[in-house]
Amino acid sequence: MSKISRRLFNTGLAAASVGTLAFPSISLGALPRVVVIGGGAGGATAARYIAKDSNGGVHVTLVEASKRYYTCFFSNIYLGGFRNYGSIGHNYYGLAVNQGVNVVHEWAVSVDPAARMVKLGSGNTIPYDKLVVSPGIDLKYDSINGYSAGVQDKMPHAWKSGTQVQLLRNQVMNMKQGGTFVMVPPPNPYRCPPGPYERVSMIAHQFKQSNPTGKIVILDPKPKFSKQGLFEAGWQKHYPGMIEWISSDTHGGLKNINASTMEFETDLDTFKADAACVVPAQKAGAIAMAAGVNDGDWCPIVPASMQSKADENIYVLGDASVAKSMPKSGFSANSQAKVAANHIRGALTGSKVFDARYSNTCWSLIAPDDDVKVGASYVAGAEAIDVESKFISQADDSSETRAANYQESIDWYNGITADMFS
Amino acid sequence: MKILLFVIFLLISVCKFAFSEEQQISDEQEIIAMGDIEYGEYLGSECAACHHQSGASEGIPSIHGMDAEVFVTLMLAYRSKLMENPVMQMIAGRLNNEQIGSLALYFSKLEPPK
Repeated sequence: MSKISRRLFNTGLAAASVGTLAFPSISLGALPRVVVIGGGAGGATAARYIAKDSNGGVHVTLVEASKRYYTCFFSNIYLGGFRNYGSIGHNYYGLAVNQGVNVVHEWAVSVDPAARMVKLGSGNTIPYDKLVVSPGIDLKYDSINGYSAGVQDKMPHAWKSGTQVQLLRNQVMNMKQGGTFVMVPPPNPYRCPPGPYERVSMIAHQFKQSNPTGKIVILDPKPKFSKQGLFEAGWQKHYPGMIEWISSDTHGGLKNINASTMEFETDLDTFKADAACVVPAQKAGAIAMAAGVNDGDWCPIVPASMQSKADENIYVLGDASVAKSMPKSGFSANSQAKVAANHIRGALTGSKVFDARYSNTCWSLIAPDDDVKVGASYVAGAEAIDVESKFISQADDSSETRAANYQESIDWYNGITADMFS
Repeated sequence: MKILLFVIFLLISVCKFAFSEEQQISDEQEIIAMGDIEYGEYLGSECAACHHQSGASEGIPSIHGMDAEVFVTLMLAYRSKLMENPVMQMIAGRLNNEQIGSLALYFSKLEPPK
């Protein structure tokens, strides 16, 4: 079969199977099979690049439960009122129709590494030659006394985007005038290191307009945080007196949360909230554990390829992986996916495999047109992914530079989402 | 936008002037000749995280269909920090001439934004 007709063949199959068929009933012949679990920045990118660059030479199935994916990145921008919720939502039609990816909207519930088979919630199974596991994070609710899935609507974590973020925005908008908002960031390591502090900035921006006497207290389980100097200077400049960051060294640890009274008990004091965001500790998504590629909470990988150290036929991308100095971010996952895609194609089709190279940049909006960024490039060391070079916004950046950063972040959002879904 | 293009033109002119006879290895044509388009496609996937095919009127521009010599000149300017932008300085800072040539070849063959 020619490349073009094979591509059309797959495209037709994919279009027919979006959301309906677990896998095509037509024989796929000798095409090598890749299954990707998780349709976020890691999984969607990997599926797209393997399908696109193999020109139909690899059959790619993407297993993702959600038909519409709301990005975690830029969910804070929505919280701050800079975008509407719909603008951070994306579907999988581009991957199916343009790239010929077989998109299956189901949960993957288990993996049989010996048989190289993924089992779906429906009971159907999908065989693979190579498996990509990119499930993101699960929350360890019991890492905080008094917090649980049962109270997450009262004190949203909003750390996996979706309706939790909408809920949090409603609670921010409806908090009583002059009330106190309590933010509990997660302990390391966690998804999006600057995220909790950008979130506080965006809530403060909202309060400045709708609740100017409102206060925000951050009860941090850490003694320091990402871009700390830049955030603190920004808070002082834009929201003087509104935000109080209390380090773990000062409050001595969060002992208990009482969701019914909205009280946060620490060694220092008990804080009463009128609204709150509580982000507990995190671990790799459950399917990574089911596939047996985890060591504790996270999944060790081979730095040169993103292959699991436990199984050479399984690749782990993004937040779930132990990428050491690379932060758990959408940008990182997208970057790792390209290395893995190149490696997988090489293994399955004999295409050339190039050296692994990784990069990351995280933009954080502090106030309108005041955006800071941090980034690094990375190389695959023998044991870990190592930093090659890095940069961070400077305290004395001009206002033009900060405004340009925000414009850049919007362009990046458009770029990466096209790179994932088109 | 016109001002931006003018500034880029000026910078390119300055950069070309800045590379002396002794630095022949930095000559755009020579660097492009070192390129491998397949390698450029792989390396270019890193660029695609930010550079949307259609580009933007301000901020991050499209690099699809960019003239190969202009591409090389710009990357050399970022590598030597003659042009500002910490992300681009970081990206270009770790590219050798063969890699820049490969990227220039690859992006010059793509369809430019409409």
